[in-house]
Amino acid sequence: MLVHLQGPWSPLLGRLTLQQIPYHVPILMVTFIVVAILAAVVLAAATYFGKWGYLWREWLTTVDHKKIGVMYILLGLIMLLRGFADALMIRTQQAMAVGPSSPGEMGAVHGYLTPFHLGQIFTAHGLIMVVFAATPLLVGLMNIIVPLQIGARDMAYPYLNALGLWLTTAGAALVMLSLFVGNFAHGGWYGFVPYFELPYSPGVGVDYWMWTFQLSAIGTSLGSINLIATIVKMRAPGMTWMRLPIFTWASLSTNLIALTSFPVLMVALALLGLDRYVGTHFYTAGMGGNLMLYNDLFWVWGHPEVYFLILPAFGIMSEIIPTFSEKTLFGSATLVLASFAIGGVSWGVWLHHFFTMAATPSVNSFYSVTTMLVGIPTGVKVFNWIFTMYRGRVRYELPMLWALLALFLLLVGGMTGMMNAFASNDYMWHNGLFVVAHFHLMVLTIAASIFGAVEYWFPKVFGFKLEQKWGTWFFWFMVIGSGITFVTMFFLGFGGMTRRLDYIPYTQWSPYLHIMLLGMVFYVVAVLFFVAHLYVSLRDRVKNRAGADVWGTGRSLEWATHSPVPAYNFAITPNVNARDEWTWRKENGLTELHPGDYEGIHMPKNTGVPLFLGILFMGLGFALIWRIWWLALLCVALIVALIIIRSFDRDTDMTIPAHAVEQVESGARDEMSATMPTAGVRGGTVIAHSIPQSGTGGISGSTTSTSPSWAPMDR
Amino acid sequence: MTEHTQNPLDHPEVQLANGRAYLVGFIFSMLLMTAGLWLAVTHIMAPFGTVLVTSILAGMVVIIQGYFILHMDISHAQMWHTVAMVLFLPLFVVTIGLTAWMFHGLYQRTMIMPPATSSMAHMPPMSH
Amino acid sequence: MSASAAQKVDPAQATLWARHYAGHDMIGTRTFGFWLYMLTDAMVYAALFASLGVLSHAVNLAGGPSPSAFINPIYAYGETITLFLSVLIYGYSMVALKNGNRGAVIGSMFVAMLLGIVYLVIAGVDIGNMFAHGIFPQVSGFLSIFFTIIIYHALHILVGVVWMLVMMVQIAREGFSANVIYRLINLRLFWHFQAVIWVFVFTFVYLQGMVA
Repeated sequence: MLVHLQGPWSPLLGRLTLQQIPYHVPILMVTFIVVAILAAVVLAAATYFGKWGYLWREWLTTVDHKKIGVMYILLGLIMLLRGFADALMIRTQQAMAVGPSSPGEMGAVHGYLTPFHLGQIFTAHGLIMVVFAATPLLVGLMNIIVPLQIGARDMAYPYLNALGLWLTTAGAALVMLSLFVGNFAHGGWYGFVPYFELPYSPGVGVDYWMWTFQLSAIGTSLGSINLIATIVKMRAPGMTWMRLPIFTWASLSTNLIALTSFPVLMVALALLGLDRYVGTHFYTAGMGGNLMLYNDLFWVWGHPEVYFLILPAFGIMSEIIPTFSEKTLFGSATLVLASFAIGGVSWGVWLHHFFTMAATPSVNSFYSVTTMLVGIPTGVKVFNWIFTMYRGRVRYELPMLWALLALFLLLVGGMTGMMNAFASNDYMWHNGLFVVAHFHLMVLTIAASIFGAVEYWFPKVFGFKLEQKWGTWFFWFMVIGSGITFVTMFFLGFGGMTRRLDYIPYTQWSPYLHIMLLGMVFYVVAVLFFVAHLYVSLRDRVKNRAGADVWGTGRSLEWATHSPVPAYNFAITPNVNARDEWTWRKENGLTELHPGDYEGIHMPKNTGVPLFLGILFMGLGFALIWRIWWLALLCVALIVALIIIRSFDRDTDMTIPAHAVEQVESGARDEMSATMPTAGVRGGTVIAHSIPQSGTGGISGSTTSTSPSWAPMDR
Repeated sequence: MTEHTQNPLDHPEVQLANGRAYLVGFIFSMLLMTAGLWLAVTHIMAPFGTVLVTSILAGMVVIIQGYFILHMDISHAQMWHTVAMVLFLPLFVVTIGLTAWMFHGLYQRTMIMPPATSSMAHMPPMSH
Repeated sequence: MSASAAQKVDPAQATLWARHYAGHDMIGTRTFGFWLYMLTDAMVYAALFASLGVLSHAVNLAGGPSPSAFINPIYAYGETITLFLSVLIYGYSMVALKNGNRGAVIGSMFVAMLLGIVYLVIAGVDIGNMFAHGIFPQVSGFLSIFFTIIIYHALHILVGVVWMLVMMVQIAREGFSANVIYRLINLRLFWHFQAVIWVFVFTFVYLQGMVA
């Protein structure tokens, strides 16, 4: 062994033993039972309704950017729920464990979670929310919308797109697995050295954290290459840079940030991995290691990452606000410049995450100044949105409510961010709750934009609008919950409370902690409203059928095709004539969406290879975590072999014949009426059945799908 | 811009292969790297001078290689490649440069041992 | 909407749909995406070189050997010669591709691959020598980054060699299809980029290590 491992290790199973399964932790056992039952129900239902063929053909082997985007969003929503559960546990523990006389349950001295357990919870909460909830949700949205907005049929690399999805899913699966086999890291989501080194974290927790982080980093990197290549090279004729929709501009700047910064994360984590697996001394305490190097490398990624998360949110707001103000986006050129300015400046601010780590005053001042500079382009954006609404015909539909909430949250979060930019302030409140409240306001901005985007674009993707009543209850309970929880957290931050506490000795903070718990109650009810929102929307989908221009005032190209969008996006590639092309067409009476005279459409074929690669990468991650070397080598060999074998596959594309296109187009209705006859399917939208092609069997998939097949329940 | 040529061999990126350019790049790289090696092996300059000159030689070689071997020019076929590279170059400088600045100051403030034998010792002194 | 930033189009004569649209440039798109990937790889190297700068203080030697004590300039120079030659010969392979000469493409690629293997042998001997003298990455922080950079680079050469082998088989099998061509161009980008990276590795790890 190259490193000294604490605990048993066997050649067959590595560090995996039965003791690693937490039988004695009731919370985990209950969670496992619930998850197992849910999984069994889902699997049984899929079998009972005979859906495996459908699932395999339409979802698991797809390379269609829209379906991949939907799956990303689904993954993000599930992980958001998991992250929220973690947050709930943190809040309840902190509300309980205040003062020396507070009770202790289930083995904890105070509260109900031992420090060992709480450490994993807040670490998992952070990692999941940043990397497995927010990122997939935003990447999913960009995946769905960007090709539609530029008039393309798919992304530049459809196969790679699917691979990115399955890699991220593999990472998420491993994070979930860490609940039941082994444990997770305990030291916070961004890692601390030398605490995360082997002598101080001898278990598998940090390894779980490290490899899941790497898996998702690879997935996001691949996705960023895909999106940039798509935007640069696959715009429809006439779509010059000046005519690019604002969300696509935002996606471009975001993915440039991701492209440039993720490699540094991979290095930061890889060097830690080398320390933990090979015994090198990059970050060790002693033997020539340097602790600050980890912080330096990590935050070179970490800061651009948060701008990677917020820029698409800004892009979403820039799309929603003009649509619901029935006005052109004010100053879209400056908004684009602001996005790139934010991206550029965000590359020079990373030390503000470790102001207190003994850099010289001149270094600290430099980074303070650059951090404050970011506020300027952000301010430009805020004013542009407000001026867009000014004298517009503002409609307060759900997407607009979310966008405006995002705007308010941005103001508070952004201004507290400016307060944090002063290094001198940081020396007082580093590691306190003030910073935590600041960044939660920022991620709530992102969350609000995401919910707004879901409300806004869901009808385009699925063909029916989400209902309003429960959605509005969901919105307001989220507002109240956020306000109660995080405004209180600012006060706690001023009071001096630090982060990641499992026991709070000062009883004067108890009222604040209880108020925050009340805020969480509102969040829980909001989640229930969200579930009702989805359920009622699904139930009433025929009544809420959406046409092409769902909101009536859509401005960009995605509204110039049918809802739900056919597999090929546009029957004939549009030719773009103006910025806000769809508005231009409406103003000039050119809204015909059935151009006729269709030709065959060349599309990529489905393939199961990305799914298999995702499974193999998950196996590789598991093997590396538990140090099962034979399994790791086997997975590497299989991955390389599969990639090489796939490259020899010449049968990767197919053509949708013109008559099939004709069939789908003639069935697509672009009006909003709910009384139109459907294609004979109860509650369904247009269904063109899959046209089986005689193709090669095996891993490359042998069927094609031309259908939008969005009617969820009826196939 | 679409290029749906019948024969993929006619694609501009295939057509820009240039044997003479590759040879020029090769010869230039070999010459300058040999010069750098000679400097390092013979110890003819002070360490700081060797570091400086070899760094400059490396910079020159990389620019020549970029133009002759990687075809980094602003022709239509290669424009976006060059733009992407130009986007990344300042970020390399920022990553390495700001890190070096950060740690140089840190070392001056926190390291007990005099930095007598490292390359970082030969940076010009910072005033703070 | 003021289309002042874009040219104004007369609605009466506007084209709404691009019929017979030939599609995007698949080869150009794929090589661009691959080039973006190479730039991210360059960013990995930048982060590694930043770490090299940080870990080059005397403290990071942890009492172990300093690079001037053990770097062998002959092996480093041998690696330089073989790698630059291999890059040149792969370049000639691409010239043969321009002329559609299948035999010459495969032949020169084979020579380039052999030179890559020679590089790996030299690197293996060099590193083996270091190990034999007790110079391991686990000895100090400096040696950790030293070995990481040179092994990471050697891994790239290994990947390139394997990739060349796969391409030779693919060319023999399906000739110069669009897929094969974009992969050959990607391999050219990859392989030629290694020459650029090697200049940095040679200069900042080997040469400057020798005088440290």
